[in-house]
Amino acid sequence: MPVPRFPAPADAFRPPEGEDLLRRLRGPATDRPEVDPGLAGGLRDWLEDGLADVGAGSTDAPAEAGPVRVTKETLTGVLLCEAHLVARRSSPRVVTEELARGSLVDALFRQWVTTGRLDDPWSEALDAVGVDRDGDPVAAFVGELADERRRALAEEITEQAAGIVRRWPVPSPGWLARTQERVVVPLVGGRVVMSGVVDLAFGGPAGARASVCVVEIKSGRRRVEHRADLHFYALLETLRSGAPPFRIATYYTRTGELDVEPVTDDVLVGAVERVLAGAVRLCRLAGGAEPERTPNGLCAWCSDLPRCEPGRTRAGTDVPRAAGDTVGDDDLVLVPTGLTGEGGDVGEEGAAR
Amino acid sequence: MTEAVTTGMSLVLPRARALTDALVAPAAGGVAAEELRVLREQLAGDLAALVEELPPGERLRLDSFRFALAREHPERLTSVDAPFVFSPALCRRAVGLSAVARCVRRWSPSPAVAVSEVLAAGAEDGDGSDPTSRPPWWAAWYGSLGRGARAMVEAEAVTWATQVWTALEWDRLAPAPLVGGGDDWWDCPGTRAMTLRGQADVRVRTGGRPALLVVGGGVPAADWRGALGFPALVCALARGERSVPARVVGLWPSSGQVRILAVDTGALVDTATAVVCAVATLVDARIEAHATRVG
Repeated sequence: MPVPRFPAPADAFRPPEGEDLLRRLRGPATDRPEVDPGLAGGLRDWLEDGLADVGAGSTDAPAEAGPVRVTKETLTGVLLCEAHLVARRSSPRVVTEELARGSLVDALFRQWVTTGRLDDPWSEALDAVGVDRDGDPVAAFVGELADERRRALAEEITEQAAGIVRRWPVPSPGWLARTQERVVVPLVGGRVVMSGVVDLAFGGPAGARASVCVVEIKSGRRRVEHRADLHFYALLETLRSGAPPFRIATYYTRTGELDVEPVTDDVLVGAVERVLAGAVRLCRLAGGAEPERTPNGLCAWCSDLPRCEPGRTRAGTDVPRAAGDTVGDDDLVLVPTGLTGEGGDVGEEGAAR
Repeated sequence: MTEAVTTGMSLVLPRARALTDALVAPAAGGVAAEELRVLREQLAGDLAALVEELPPGERLRLDSFRFALAREHPERLTSVDAPFVFSPALCRRAVGLSAVARCVRRWSPSPAVAVSEVLAAGAEDGDGSDPTSRPPWWAAWYGSLGRGARAMVEAEAVTWATQVWTALEWDRLAPAPLVGGGDDWWDCPGTRAMTLRGQADVRVRTGGRPALLVVGGGVPAADWRGALGFPALVCALARGERSVPARVVGLWPSSGQVRILAVDTGALVDTATAVVCAVATLVDARIEAHATRVG
C-alpha cells in the first residue's frame, strides 16, 4: 500500500469548536481536583520570604516611583534582558498594528462572551476601544492608519471575529463568566505588586474542589512564552482566591488553536520560582542598579542598541528596527509577546484598570 | 469568626461562607447616645470652623472618594473637580448593584442576565419617551453609545456584579439585605457649606444593628480603617445611635482581600479625626485653586 506523501485531509488540524471546545475547557466535573487549603498560603509565604530583603531594598528608589510591578510583560522582559526592559520603559509607548489587532480582538471576544452578538465586528471593535474615558491609543492609531492598511486590518479583524462566532458557544449565564478581570496580589507590604488582567475566567468560587478556568486570548501567532504567561495567571488566581484554577488555556483567534493545561502543584511551583527570579531583578533595577545586558533575538528592535555592544554583536547592526517590523525575521519566534508589540495588551503594565 | 479576624480570613474556603459569617456575626458593644452626641457636636464645630475659610459661595461635599484622595493623594485634589467623564468602569458599580439586587430578589437568575435587564430598562427609561420615568444617571450616556461600546459597559458590570454576587451566601441573610440603596447624607449643623455622604454596597441587620459591606477596587489602602470607618460614621451621624453599624466589612475582589472594622466609639472618633484632617486639606486645595483663578 503506497504511503501518502502528505497527511490525508482527515489528519489535518481542525480547530475545536462548539461542544468540543467547551469539553476541552471544562472537562468532566468529576475531574476537578481537591483544593489543598494550605497551598495558597504556602505559595504566598514562599514569595514573601524570597522578596523580604529585596523588597525592602527597593525602598532606595524614589518614593514617587511606587511599588515594583510584576506583570507578565515585565517578568518576561526582565528575564530576557534587563537593559532592554529599561530601554523600553524609557521610550514612548508605540502602538503597532499587531498591538491594535490584539486590543480590537480582545474587545470583540469580550462582546461575544457577554452579549452573544457580533453584527459589525470592525465598527463594534472601534466603538469598544474608543469608549474609555481617557481616549484609547488604539482608536487614535487606527484613525491615523493609511486607507489600505486600515482596510487590511479591518479584514483581518472581521475574519478573526467570524472564527470566534463560528467556534465559541456563548457561555451559559450559569458559568459566571468574567471578562478582563483584574487580579492584583500585593507582596511584602505592598512594595511589590503582582498583577494581570485575565481575558476570560469562568466558574464560581472554589470550595472543596477547584472550580475556575482561566482563558487567555491571543490574536497573534503561537509562542512558547504564552505558557509561562498562563502559569503566571494561574499563580495570581491561586493567591487571590485561595484556590488554583482547575484549568488554564490559551486560545488563538487567528487559527482556532486551543492549548489547555491542568494546574498542578508543579505548574504553581515553577511559576513562583520564575516570579521570584524576575521580581528580584525588578527590585534591583528599581533600586537603581545597572541593568545587565543579555543578548537575545530582540536586540535588533532595542532602542538601546547603539549603546549596547553585546546587542550590536548579536544583531549585526547598530541601527534599531522599528516596533512592529517583524517581516522575515526568524529571531522573532524566540521573542516574548508584548515586547515587539505583537499580540500584547495595551496598557496592562502597571495600569490601574 | 471574631471581630479581630481580618487578613487571615482571605485564606478560608469557601470564601462566601466565611465572609457571610463575618458580616452577620453578633455585634459586640455599641455606641451610647451621649457618646454620639458629643462626637457629633465636636465634629460639627471643627468642620464649621474649617469651611468658613472656603472661598465665597463654595460648598464642600465629602464622599469616600474625596476622603481617600485627600488622605492619600492630596496633590491630585486640584484636578478632582474636573468635569465628570463617563466610562464603563465608572458605571459598573451602579449597574452592577442594581443587577445584584435583582438576583437577591430572585427577579433574575444570574448577574449576566440581571445586568442585561438593568441596562435594557435604563436605555428605555433614558430615551426620553416617558416623561414620568426617572432614568438612572448613566442611562442617557449609555443610550448614546454604539453597540460595541455598550457591550463594554455590560461586560464591566457583569464582571463586577459577579464578583459581588459570588462573595456572599445571600440565602443566609435575613431579613433581606439592602443592596445599594440610598446613601447616607449628613449636613453639618451650623453651616450650609459642608455635607458628608456615606455609601455602602450592601446593608444587612444583625442583632438589631446594621452591618455594612463595602466593595473596593485593587488593594486595601494602608489606612483601610479610615476607608471603612467613613460610611459607618456618616451612617451614625445621619441616622442616630440606634443605627450605628456593628461593623463594616471591606471586600477587595481584585486582590481577594477582606478587612473588618468593628464599629465602636473609638473607631468613630478616629474616623472623625481623619475627616477633619481631610476637610482641612480639601479647604486648602480650594483656597489655592481660587487664588490661582483670580490671581
